Amino acid sequence: MNKNNEQFWKQIIKKVRTWARLNSIWAVHFNSGSCNGCDIEILATLTPRYDVERFGIKLEGSPRHADVLIVTGPVTRQARERLIRTYEQMPEPKFVISVGSCSISGGVFEGCYNVGGSVDEVIPVDVYIPGCPPRPEAIIDGIVQLLASLKGDEPRKMARPVNVEEIPA
Amino acid sequence: MNIEQTLKDAEQFLAPWCKETFHPEVNRLDVAIQVDDLRAAVGALLAARWGYLSAVTGTDLGIEVGQLEALYHFCNGPAITSLRIHLPRESDACLPSIADIIPSASFFERELQEMLGFAFSGSKVSERLFLPDDWPEKVYPLRADFSIEQAAPVAGRRADELPEQGVVGGNTFVIPIGPQHPALKEPGHFEFTVDGEIVTAAKMRLGYAHRGIEKAAESRNWIQNLYLFERICGICSHTHAMAYSLGVEKLAQVEAPPRAQAIRELIAGLERVHSHLLWLGVAAHEAGFDTLFMYSWRDRETVMNLLEQITGNRVNYSANVLGGVKCDIGAEQAKAVKEGLTYLETRIRHYLEVVTTDAMFLNRTRGIGTISRDEAEKFGLLGPTARASGLSRDVRLEAPYGAYHHFPVSLVMETNGDLEARCVVRLKELLVSCFTMRTIVDNLPEGPLTTRMPRKIPAGETVSRIEAPRGELFYYIKSKGGENPARVHIRTPSLCNWVSVLEKAVGHQLADVPMLIAGMDPCFSCNDRVVTVNRPSTNETWSWKQLREYGIEFYKR
Ligand code: SF4
Repeated sequence: MNKNNEQFWKQIIKKVRTWARLNSIWAVHFNSGSCNGCDIEILATLTPRYDVERFGIKLEGSPRHADVLIVTGPVTRQARERLIRTYEQMPEPKFVISVGSCSISGGVFEGCYNVGGSVDEVIPVDVYIPGCPPRPEAIIDGIVQLLASLKGDEPRKMARPVNVEEIPA
Repeated sequence: MNIEQTLKDAEQFLAPWCKETFHPEVNRLDVAIQVDDLRAAVGALLAARWGYLSAVTGTDLGIEVGQLEALYHFCNGPAITSLRIHLPRESDACLPSIADIIPSASFFERELQEMLGFAFSGSKVSERLFLPDDWPEKVYPLRADFSIEQAAPVAGRRADELPEQGVVGGNTFVIPIGPQHPALKEPGHFEFTVDGEIVTAAKMRLGYAHRGIEKAAESRNWIQNLYLFERICGICSHTHAMAYSLGVEKLAQVEAPPRAQAIRELIAGLERVHSHLLWLGVAAHEAGFDTLFMYSWRDRETVMNLLEQITGNRVNYSANVLGGVKCDIGAEQAKAVKEGLTYLETRIRHYLEVVTTDAMFLNRTRGIGTISRDEAEKFGLLGPTARASGLSRDVRLEAPYGAYHHFPVSLVMETNGDLEARCVVRLKELLVSCFTMRTIVDNLPEGPLTTRMPRKIPAGETVSRIEAPRGELFYYIKSKGGENPARVHIRTPSLCNWVSVLEKAVGHQLADVPMLIAGMDPCFSCNDRVVTVNRPSTNETWSWKQLREYGIEFYKR
């Protein structure tokens, strides 16, 4: 097999992979202390009126099968470790969507004693969807933007790189 | 019975222990008693069947006063009797536990213990309820002198110290579920100890959604708090805001205009429809009936549209302002609401038929998780879960507030107490709500939408109870006359209903547990606690071989 040939196949495989990834996003949902508002809107995107399954997006129970982690809510002290653990259990490549004002900045819960702040202080976030709660259309738009950014060839940029600390298993 | 007479009765029952009485409001009686008399006084009210224990409020009266205050609120129709107890702030004095006479009190006591540092004699539990496990000892967030610096995590401890997972102990197996798990959209951690397929013990650890809202409320002003409380729970946001507004209006001695009250009730009705349809979908999903899940959520979009059309938002509508409402119902909205209701009514009737005739669904609901009337009373159940067991508890009828005087609802009750009855109660309740909403739209009083509210609320305290989709919601609001509340205590309905689920899980098949949990429609964002219910199982130990043989035998049959 000459070198050109190898290049060619690599290209093909990459294309197939991207195609597959774009058309079958499996998401896992993690509530890190939200008020529920965002969560019911996420569920609403799955149901007949908004129906994100037409994009091949499916809500999956186990983080080990998921490509995308959807996080809602400010990160409470107790949920923090759990969030990191869930993130670490996901296989690469993985993406994180942070839904709702309070997951982006703490929102109304800013300054509460049991709230750590935003999701991106804990794990790297790829897409932010603001709103309290964001409308299902906005959530779909966020997912579509994520998909669009995956299509491009340039490497994925993290919104704010952070070190994920070691968590005892 | 009129309120005065009811309160007089209570006063009579409590006379032997009473040190002082007050009437903070017309419908309230406040009886100061000594710490040691608490059990006797509670016993007297119970023996006389005077109401039920609705909430226990703890307050730190401040460093100067040097005292903690506990208020045991008993509700009987619109009348409320509170037992008021004072304890020195810095001492080992403790309250006697009443959890053995009133099971639901165990939650209330543990809340006081953790948030305010009350001690209880005779209570065995030492695990954390709301707060993370790495929270330092002897730091109580609701005390007046608490500051966030004191709460630095204790080195060497994790925020949730969960026991080992999946331990085989004798013939039992512990199945840990959560906090991130596929079935519910909210975080909770459960541990079910199973013996074969049968659950022998159930335990839960919540607190993943505990944010510390009651404390935060003390540092925000009256208006900011309205938006904060709305975000306690996104599903029943209007109810929270409404309970709070009604309470603050009572303190300020202002009454929202009739039109505003009617619109509040209308939105509360729409919210009930959205909440119950959401619940029906989730319950169907737990039962593996995804078709019903999709259908009910599709129809729920009708309500969401209406809410959006009226208030401008789908969730967290902020329809309330202190002293009235923000949004009006014009001719266009009225027409849309009526059309929406007609459609919903036909759909709800259809669902009612499905849940009572579909053989597959009935297999999962009929006769499962039955709670008798006596048990319901003992557990202190609230809302539709109580009404499914033949216990008529509905604040809208017992103690009408706002526009419920003019637009009353009728009582919906079932007596079977199983999951089927809970489905039926909720759906029938929706039909009643739809009927009332139609009446409201047709007879909307004319007039302004708001009245003027003072910026500072006069000193005082009040109790505001309203019927949320899940049951009675209890707000205790105290003002010192400033721009911020001095204390807001919130007791949400899910809290009272949890005991029953854990008790009932024992003895059921593991596969029924998700349905049981869904059956009471829990809301984790509202309340976050931990509970254990244990029942001894048989003590023989089986080897894997025996188990295998038993299994083979079992399935031969
Ligand atoms: S962003 Fe708003 S709606 Fe969403 S979880 Fe936070 S408070 Fe609730």
